[in-house]
Amino acid sequence: MNRSWAPLLLLPIAIVAGPLLVSDFWIFVIIQIMVYALYAVAFNLLLGYGGMLPFGFATFFGLGAYALAVLQVRIGVAVPIAVLAAPFVAATFGGLIAYFCIRLSGIYFGMLTFAFQMLAYTFFLKSYYFAGGDSGLHGIVIPGVLGQPIGLYYLTLCVVSVGIALLWRIVNSPFGLALRSQSNNPRKSLAIGINVALHRWLAFTIAAFFAGLSGALYALANQSVFPDWLDWRSSAAPIVMTILGGMHTFAGPIIGAAIFVLLQTVLTGVTQYWALFMGILIIAIVTLLPKGIASLFGRRDA
Amino acid sequence: MQSLLDAFAWITNPTVVLRELMAGAADGMLLFLVASGLSLIFGVTRVINFAHGAFFMLGAYFAYMIVGSGVNSSVNFPVMLLAATLGTFVIGLTFEVCVLRRIYRSAQAFQLLVTFGLVLICGDAVRLIWGSSDNSVTLPPSLEGFVRVFNVNFPVYRLFLIAVGVTIYAGLWALLYRSRWGVLVRAASADRDMLRALGIDVGHIFSAVFALGSALAGLAGGLAAPIVSVGPGLHAEVLTNALVIVAIGGLGSFSGSFAGALLVGEANAFGTLAFPQMAIVVPFLIMTLVLIARPRGLLGRPE
Repeated sequence: MNRSWAPLLLLPIAIVAGPLLVSDFWIFVIIQIMVYALYAVAFNLLLGYGGMLPFGFATFFGLGAYALAVLQVRIGVAVPIAVLAAPFVAATFGGLIAYFCIRLSGIYFGMLTFAFQMLAYTFFLKSYYFAGGDSGLHGIVIPGVLGQPIGLYYLTLCVVSVGIALLWRIVNSPFGLALRSQSNNPRKSLAIGINVALHRWLAFTIAAFFAGLSGALYALANQSVFPDWLDWRSSAAPIVMTILGGMHTFAGPIIGAAIFVLLQTVLTGVTQYWALFMGILIIAIVTLLPKGIASLFGRRDA
Repeated sequence: MQSLLDAFAWITNPTVVLRELMAGAADGMLLFLVASGLSLIFGVTRVINFAHGAFFMLGAYFAYMIVGSGVNSSVNFPVMLLAATLGTFVIGLTFEVCVLRRIYRSAQAFQLLVTFGLVLICGDAVRLIWGSSDNSVTLPPSLEGFVRVFNVNFPVYRLFLIAVGVTIYAGLWALLYRSRWGVLVRAASADRDMLRALGIDVGHIFSAVFALGSALAGLAGGLAAPIVSVGPGLHAEVLTNALVIVAIGGLGSFSGSFAGALLVGEANAFGTLAFPQMAIVVPFLIMTLVLIARPRGLLGRPE
C-alpha cells in the first residue's frame, strides 16, 4: 500500500512553489485537482474501504457547495466561517441519509442514494428564492488576499491537506481496519464483535463531511454554485477518478483526480466534444486493462 | 389551507381528471417500454444500464433521421419506428458483445462506468451528427387530431400509444412466460450459474436480452419523437424516470415495471396539475419511500 507514495515525495515542493510560476488558468486547474482529490479520497472511504457504491454521492459535494453559497450570499456569513460550517451541513444530511441507506446493500444501496440525490437536486433546481433555482447562486464574495488566485490556491492547499491527512488517519485507525473487514466479510466481522451498521454509518457520514468540504472549496473557486453539481451525471465523476487511479490504495483517487482534471482541461482546449473522448477513454481503460486494474480487486467480486 | 384546496380543485371536474388520466397512461406506456428493458437487463445481467436513456434518445434521433423536419406520412411512420428499434438493437448488441460481456465478473463500479462512458459518447455523438439544436418530428395525418369520448377530447396519438404499450406488454409477457426462450431468460435471471451448468449458452441469452432491452428503449424513443423535442439532452430525464420505475416496481420484475410506469406516468400528470412547480419531486419522493419501506420494490421478490 505504501509503495504508491514513493513518487509523491517530490510533489510537496512543486505544490508549494508551483503557483508562483504558472498562469492564473493553471492555478485554477491545480485548485480543481486538489478539490477533486479530497472529494475522491472521501468517496473512496466508501467504495474502496467500505465496499459501498453510492450512485448519488454528488449530493454531499453539492450540499457543501450550496451551504457555503447560501451562508455567504444570502446571510452574509464570512467566508472562513462558511467554509467551516459547510461540511457540517453536508455531514448532518449525510448522517440522516446514511441512516436509511446503510441497511441496504449492493444495487439497492446505490439506488437509494440516487433517490436522495434527485430529491436534493430537484429541491435546489426549484427553490428560486432560497438557492437561485436552475441558474444557481452567484457572487460569492471572498475578502482580501484570499480572493486572489494565489490566496485561494494556498487556502485550498491548506484545507485539502488537512482533510486528506485526517482521512489518512481515519483509514489507518482501528476504525478503518474494521471498516475494511466488514467490506470483505460482513458476517465474520459481526461474529468478531464489529458493529457493522455503526461502521457503515460513520464511514458514510465522514465521507459526506469531506465531500461537503470539497464542495465548499469548489464553490469558492467558482464563486458560484449550480444545481447541475447534484445531477446524477456529476455523481459519476468521483467513481471515474477513483477507478482511474485505483480504489485499493489511499493515493489512487488523488492520482485519478489529477488525471481526470488534466484530461478534461486538455480535451476541452482541443475539442468541444471532450465528453466523447472521455467516454471512449473510460470504456477503453475499464475493458482493455482488466488485469492492470482488476488484479487489485479480485476479491471484491463475491 | 385554501390554496391547498385550490390545488386540488380539478378533482370535481371529470373532464380534466379523465384527460390527465389518459395523458398519464400514454406517458406511462412510453416509460414502460424503457423501464421494462432496463429491468429485464438488470434481472439477467445484474447490470444497471445508465445508458438506457441514451438508447431512448438514439431511437428518437433515428426516427428524426428518417422523417426529418418535413411532413410525416403513414408510410414513413412505421419505417421510422423500425429504424428506431433496429438501430438501437444493433447498437445495444454491439455494446454488449464488445464491451459489457468482458466485465460481467468485475466490480459493480466498473459496470456502472462503462455504461456511463456510453452515455457520454452518445450525448456527443448526436451533437456531432445532428447538431446541438432541438428538432421536432411531425405526426402522420392519420394519427393527428382528437377523438371524442365521454365528452372529452382525447388526442388520437395518446390512444395509439396506450394501444401500442398494452400490445407490447402482452407480447413480452407471452415471450417471457409462454416461450422456451422466456423460460431460459427467467432461469438466467434466477440462477445463471445453474443454467450454465445445465449446458445452456448463457452468453447468447445475455446478448439477446441486452439487445432486446435496448430495442425497447429505442422503440419508445421513436414513438416519443413526435411529442418531445429531439435534442441532445433528451436522455437524462428518461433515465431518471426509468430508474424510479424499476425501483418502485422491483428490479428485475416485469409486471413491476408495468405497474411502476403507470404509477409514475399518472404521478407526473396529476402532480403537474396540483403542484406545477414541485411536480418534478413527486416520483423521487415515491422512489425514496418505497426503497426505505420495501427495498426490493412493490412487486419484487426477495433475493
